[in-house]
Amino acid sequence: MVSLLRTIRNARRVGLREWWRQLNYIGDAKSGKYIGSDQFGNRYFENRNGEEEVPGRHRWVDFAQHDFNATQVPPEWHSWIHHIRKEPPTNDSVVQNLSPPWKAPYIENLTGTRGAYKSYNTVVPKINAWDPKVKARA
Amino acid sequence: MSFARPRVFVGIQPHFAALSRSSALRTPVVARRLLSGSSCSHAEHSPNSHDPLVSGLSARSHHRADPPIEYDSKGNEVNPYSAGPSALDKAVHLFFFTEIIRGMWIVMENFFRPPYTIMYPFEKGPLSPRFRGEHALRRYPSGEERCIACKLCEAICPAQAITIESEARLDGSRKTTKYDIDMTKCIYCGFCQEACPVDAIVETQNQEFSVETREELLYNKEKLLANGDKAEAEIAANLHSDHVYR
Repeated sequence: MVSLLRTIRNARRVGLREWWRQLNYIGDAKSGKYIGSDQFGNRYFENRNGEEEVPGRHRWVDFAQHDFNATQVPPEWHSWIHHIRKEPPTNDSVVQNLSPPWKAPYIENLTGTRGAYKSYNTVVPKINAWDPKVKARA
Repeated sequence: MSFARPRVFVGIQPHFAALSRSSALRTPVVARRLLSGSSCSHAEHSPNSHDPLVSGLSARSHHRADPPIEYDSKGNEVNPYSAGPSALDKAVHLFFFTEIIRGMWIVMENFFRPPYTIMYPFEKGPLSPRFRGEHALRRYPSGEERCIACKLCEAICPAQAITIESEARLDGSRKTTKYDIDMTKCIYCGFCQEACPVDAIVETQNQEFSVETREELLYNKEKLLANGDKAEAEIAANLHSDHVYR
């Protein structure tokens, strides 16, 4: 009952096209304030009206990729969507001031692909296989 | 009341019929009897029988007085409860029958409420800035790596997941050449980041580092530094938000 009214209300707010996209990905009709988007094109929304969204569901992300994945959210927005930080990184002065100039580009979790991390030794191995050396005969 | 009376006289077949017929009728009757027998209505003082300034133990008694004992013509004691349902019957009706109703009522209530399901990964539950997830090695704002190879984290690690080898660099500063964390051994206790004197090894808020093979969880120094380089803004902001408590 409540879900039907909520679905109709949110579908009317976001429009038919966006509602269809939400049904294909989030699986629920949600409407809220557009907060911003990251460098990958993921869009972030918030609805802090307690009557419309259950607390805990009031921040959400709309992934840009079809093959979406939780690790596609970069760390700054990760701390926003996990409710670690109150302000989004677009107007959070602490996050902006603490971003170093040597910040590496963000890469999602590439496990299962050719780009997956492969462990290796960073020092010279201490145990080597026997390498026979034959002295030249005179 | 004649609920249990037929079971004395008649055979098994009518006995079941009588039980099934009377059970619907019996329930409200039993509930009413149990209500009248409950003690809460007798817990209060009766104002006419007691001086309000005098308190006696009898006024605080939560039990009603026993009914007078009845005797038949031969002088034997008559059990007044022999005709009614047994205590077990009463308890079964009160607890088991109302249990079903109460359980179904909770289902009804929650059916009409909005769902609390968090649609991961679109919505996520709250995390603390002190959350202990994937490890990372940090750098100074100049870009110099922080770790000084003091091996305190290696010493305190209860799972012995950290392996460190160090060497002096050309400028004389001691740096690690090997900083391996076996994430399959790690118990995420956070002792390493508490032991670290320079805040080099930290546990980030990233919990989504699941991998398909075990080998990918054997992190080396380059992987840990890469984790730190990616998430430095988040790590530093979390340390900043918590610095007043440290």
